[in-house]
Amino acid sequence: MTEKIIQIESLTGGYDGSVVLQNVSMDVFKGEVLVIVGRSGCGKSTITRYMVGLQKPYSGRILFDGIDIWSSSKALDSARRRWGVLFQSGALLGNYTVIENVMLPLKEFTNLNRVEMMDVALSKLEVVGMEHAAFENPLEISGGMQKRAGLARAMVLDPEVLFFDEPSAGLDPVTSAELDETILSVNRSLGTTLVIVTHELPSIFAISDRVIMLDPDEQGIIATGSARDLADNSEDPRVRAFFGRKIGE
Amino acid sequence: MKGEIVHDGDIISFTGRFNITDIREVTSSLEGITASETILNFTNCKSIDASIAARIWSVSEAKKRKGISLLCQSMNTDIQKTFARFRAIDNRSIAPAPKRTLLYNFEDIGDRVLATWDTVSGLLSFTAQAFRALFSGKVRGPITAYYMEQSGVMAVPIVIALNWLMGVVLGYQAGYQMKQFGGELFMPALLAYSICWEIGPMMTAVLVAGRSGSAFAAEIGTMKVRQEIDALEVMGFNLYGYVVTPKMIALFIVMPLLVTVANFAGMAGGLAAGGFFLKMPSAVYIAEVRKALIPFDLYWGVVKSFFYSTIISVTGSYMGMRVRGGPAAVGKATTSAVVVSIFLVILVDALLSLVFVHLRPGLSL
Repeated sequence: MTEKIIQIESLTGGYDGSVVLQNVSMDVFKGEVLVIVGRSGCGKSTITRYMVGLQKPYSGRILFDGIDIWSSSKALDSARRRWGVLFQSGALLGNYTVIENVMLPLKEFTNLNRVEMMDVALSKLEVVGMEHAAFENPLEISGGMQKRAGLARAMVLDPEVLFFDEPSAGLDPVTSAELDETILSVNRSLGTTLVIVTHELPSIFAISDRVIMLDPDEQGIIATGSARDLADNSEDPRVRAFFGRKIGE
Repeated sequence: MKGEIVHDGDIISFTGRFNITDIREVTSSLEGITASETILNFTNCKSIDASIAARIWSVSEAKKRKGISLLCQSMNTDIQKTFARFRAIDNRSIAPAPKRTLLYNFEDIGDRVLATWDTVSGLLSFTAQAFRALFSGKVRGPITAYYMEQSGVMAVPIVIALNWLMGVVLGYQAGYQMKQFGGELFMPALLAYSICWEIGPMMTAVLVAGRSGSAFAAEIGTMKVRQEIDALEVMGFNLYGYVVTPKMIALFIVMPLLVTVANFAGMAGGLAAGGFFLKMPSAVYIAEVRKALIPFDLYWGVVKSFFYSTIISVTGSYMGMRVRGGPAAVGKATTSAVVVSIFLVILVDALLSLVFVHLRPGLSL
């Protein structure tokens, strides 16, 4: 787990001219489960938006497999084929069924015929335990199911990296734990690199290989290491305060 | 122990525990203070909650502006911590509201000009990208057919009804005026020109902007709020090709048809008005219309409809794409889409009218 898949070099960025992240550098290694944590407003989701090319930084570079994603539109397009993103809401298109949503990337980027696409989509839905809801309207299924379907769509092209923006948000502890298990099984069985933004302590301890903690006052990273190491050994009061919460709080 | 407030000259003592249920009592005690310096004594106060601290802080700030000081004394650590949150707010500099000076008014005008320029340049760039996607991307048949149905087929009844009524009104008004000096026979020609050159295309464009332009903005705006646009973008979809061009193509196909339907509906309205109010035989009306119109007049509406299709589909999509924030922003985008579309339709119509007089055979100023 030493080969870098994503490198962020001296990234400064934010929204509408305001700075949220200042001179941030970090790496994501192939095959790891990296969890990004921090207080609200620290830039967890923002840094993910930069990593997936939804925003261009004010300065600094984001390298995906050694290539600056903003160096050309071709570089960004080719990187986009190699990652998948699960948004907080699942972000399924409301005018398609669940399986049509999962088939969208296949229709756009492969030459498979309809039957083949359905088979691939169903197999991915099976991985996330959603095959029974394949022909449902995404707006008529629960939040947890929407996220599972979103995960199936994110992994339908077998991406090398999967990004998750607060996958547990709005879910009950049982559904959240089930989703964590599904996420972890994707990493363990397919070797997919996972970058997860969350502030759910149980999830952090359950699934992370490495944790990066951001802080809104520092506008950057204040700690990195394993969750257990940070919780037990960090001397930074902000890290201790974050991990000092009782699980479930 | 419930909180109690005791007044003793210029000293107000707080005793016991205070929470939100005591807020009225606290407010009335503090607001009645008129002495230039009053001490708030917390020696026997066990605790206050954030709402009471906020109340004391805000009244204290208001009094300070009137030259009245409220000094807090003998607070325990918990109360100090509760107050500390509001002192932090106090220390932050709050930008004063700009004074309405002459310079401010110029700045305000400048800001609005820049915002308008931002919208115009954004819209032009968006239009260029949309056309680029239109000519380089693939046609998405099912989605395009869906928008053709929604924007075209579903709009036919209202387009016919509205333009027929416009024809009736124009026919009656024109016929009535002309009849006074025996010129009612010119009504069919006047009406046919009005309908085909202006009213038919314009009313159709306004209707489509209201029905479909707003729907495009609302649909895309909602997709933005639900992160569906972000999802499409990170999946590598060409947003213009996937979201905008099906709407453009749909309007390119249905608008000329709607305008043609509108033209005939409007002239049918004139026929009804002529027959009912002016007792003009149908054959005479039709003959006069055929004598007046040339094919160019009908084609002109079709030409205009291509411009209007572009304006409505691109403006609706652009306003939807600009949505940031929550559902309220979707409502604003919808309104903007309709207002800007109709304004641009009328602006382009005015420009096309200048071209029209030079292009139409047999017409010169």
